[in-house]
Amino acid sequence: MINLTIDGKPVQVPDGTTVLQAAQAAGIHIPTLCNHPALKPFGGCRLCLVEVEGMRTLQPSCTMPASDKMVVLTGTDKVKAARRFVLNMIFSDRNHFCPYCQVTGGDCELQNSALDEGMSHWNFPPNWERYPVDATHDYFVMDHNRCILCHRCVRACGELVGNFTLGIEERGARSMLVADTGVPLGSSSCVSCGTCVAVCPTGALIERNSAYQGPEKNMTVTRSICMTCSMGCGIQVYTRDNRIVRIVGDWDAPVNGGVLCKNGRFVPLEEKRQRVTTPLVRKNGRLEPASWEEALQTAAARLRPLAGQKEKGIAALASPRLPAEALAAFKQLFGGCLGAEIVTSTDQGRTTGAVRTVSDELGRPIESGLAALRGADCVLTLGAKLYDNHMVAGFFIKRNLPQGTRLVLVESENGEFAARANVFLKTGAVGAVIDGLKAALVRLGLQSGDAAQAEAALTAAAQAAGVTVDDLLAAAGLVGSAERPAFVYRENVDAPTLRKLVELAGATHAALVSIKGLPNMLAAAQMGLDRPFALNGHQAAYLALGDEAPSPELAAALRKAPFLVVQASYTSELTEQADVVLPVEMWAEQEGHFLNLEGRIQQAARSLQAPAGVRSNLAVLQALAEQMNATLTADWQAELAARPLPVALG
Amino acid sequence: MAKPKISSDWLAGCAGCHMSLLDIDERILTVAELADIRSTPITDLKEPDESGVDVGILEGGINNTFNEEVAHKMRKRCKLLVALGDCAVFGGVPAMRNFFTIEEALRRAYIETESTDEQGKIPTDPELAVPTRVRALNEVVPVDLYVPGCPPDPDTIFYVLSELAQGRKPVLENGKLQWH
Repeated sequence: MINLTIDGKPVQVPDGTTVLQAAQAAGIHIPTLCNHPALKPFGGCRLCLVEVEGMRTLQPSCTMPASDKMVVLTGTDKVKAARRFVLNMIFSDRNHFCPYCQVTGGDCELQNSALDEGMSHWNFPPNWERYPVDATHDYFVMDHNRCILCHRCVRACGELVGNFTLGIEERGARSMLVADTGVPLGSSSCVSCGTCVAVCPTGALIERNSAYQGPEKNMTVTRSICMTCSMGCGIQVYTRDNRIVRIVGDWDAPVNGGVLCKNGRFVPLEEKRQRVTTPLVRKNGRLEPASWEEALQTAAARLRPLAGQKEKGIAALASPRLPAEALAAFKQLFGGCLGAEIVTSTDQGRTTGAVRTVSDELGRPIESGLAALRGADCVLTLGAKLYDNHMVAGFFIKRNLPQGTRLVLVESENGEFAARANVFLKTGAVGAVIDGLKAALVRLGLQSGDAAQAEAALTAAAQAAGVTVDDLLAAAGLVGSAERPAFVYRENVDAPTLRKLVELAGATHAALVSIKGLPNMLAAAQMGLDRPFALNGHQAAYLALGDEAPSPELAAALRKAPFLVVQASYTSELTEQADVVLPVEMWAEQEGHFLNLEGRIQQAARSLQAPAGVRSNLAVLQALAEQMNATLTADWQAELAARPLPVALG
Repeated sequence: MAKPKISSDWLAGCAGCHMSLLDIDERILTVAELADIRSTPITDLKEPDESGVDVGILEGGINNTFNEEVAHKMRKRCKLLVALGDCAVFGGVPAMRNFFTIEEALRRAYIETESTDEQGKIPTDPELAVPTRVRALNEVVPVDLYVPGCPPDPDTIFYVLSELAQGRKPVLENGKLQWH
């Protein structure tokens, strides 16, 4: 431990702490601009200068390591004069005109710093050079007039996302933020995660959707979780007048640590589907608005006689976008009260079936938490396509590549990762590759086994997968020599293949991670809502769709249903087909619990008020049960705990 | 002690800071009791007394030779000069035209605006002031007190006026210091 004094206050901090961190721990405020808690110290803006006894000049506290018996002064006239000088220089460098800037009035760290220092004016006029504004990007605008060259965006793009799109060209006053080699942002290698916008301290990077909609002090902030995929990233939803203005990553969230992807940050704001706001009942072939009572009675009247009718009864599907509370109630209502033969999810276990089967067989969790992926020194992806979904998991990998993490891809298409991979096995034959890797490990002497057999198996596997023996050997070399390898796979790995993969993981001490589709799919799987669905002779289908956008295949599979009830937030092909439509809350309106892909139970909070007449998924199921004189008592926590999790969160 | 004399004027601004001044409502009577309000854009007297005033207040930036003249006259005749509002302090919204040449700005204003017919022409009367680059007040004359804001809050303006009227120099702290 290090003992130092800051402004006369004794402070004790662990080795490796910076003076800035020590001051923050002691509750002493030092202004900063280039520093960001999620990024490595940079020492660029010089706003955090402090006096250190015995040192000739002022020192940047963000990069200065605290040392024993150090005496630091943060509020002397010399320090204050330096801060004002730094701020005056920053304001004169480009064109920082507050009255026409999006972040003025509380949201600009530069303006706030100036006000904190009591700056009532500028000592130097602004630059008056015209700096370009790059508005070519779909989701944000880069205004170089507002840029203070703090490098936060550049560091976030590299350190947190591993994309390295942003950089700085030239030096000194000619420095410019650029995308790639100076191409417009909209045609750059940017993956639109928006992390750069989230860390920008000024109005240099602003979101198109939320710009000029008022300062954050006029908004309500709700801490919740992203409802895009099974990652369950922590988010903060900014709302105003019951409308989402902006979604930002929760820097304190254990899953993502503030990073989000395009699908979580921007896409939810582009919702264009039409809302269902009143119950609908089909009368004379047409869907007509109805009261809740009528709609529920109509549904109950048709469903009740089908109770226990097995293959001539009810088939019920729920969306893995529903909270665990609603999924448990759904299971009890249809599985218990109505004795439906098929009670499953719209995912039908595609993303979780293999992992459930194999972990049940082995009687132990076979997968690890995302921490294994974040800390891996070699990652093998098997058809995981982390560049187009579960992108934040992809960022965890990409950002570690400069530190030497090796990447082996087994993918059937050239994704964004292809150029970054150490070995790219372009094939969809995951099983053959696993066989090949096993044989290659023996061939390389990294595993024991029969050399002749391995040689033959290796050649056969290479042929079967359509890859070269050399590539298999290279991949096996990386995986076999790694200290903390991790394998990421998705539903293209079936149970027989997964058994082989578990074996390979065991032999190489690799952690397994699989991505599981929609936000609550693991919860649905825990509850057994993971069976395949076919309408066959079932006389009624009930679809608790929530705000899921149904696949055309699902709509086609339900087209012949003699009686279809759809509980949905938005109109779709399926609501058009339905006999009864029950309007329910969309993701931001509902609250409840979700089990992410690593088995972490998280709570989603309500950030919007649902329109009048729209009910929660749980409330609709309860009301329907009431119509049939049943009471839903299902305990979602007990349901989740009913079987061991296939993932050990660690 | 005689009441301190206060004069004000507006330059390249929108008059909004003076509107905010009027938004101090009945408190203007208190200011009038404490101070001798001399020339302002909203009183009959149009120029600060030749014999001098104690406080001169200017709203707006400097965007032509006439503004320069007014600023110099006010500076010469007042003991303490106040820059009121973001335009006087920083240049403000009018300063956006500095990103264009004066010719471009004049052409846009007098010829290219959607409401101008083919007869539009840039005025050239020698009596007219000559447009210049828009500057903050402190680029033209020394300023003693800056009250930024677009506009500054009426409560801030009242605080500033009442302090000045009582012979004190106001200190803008906490919520009173605001840029917009």
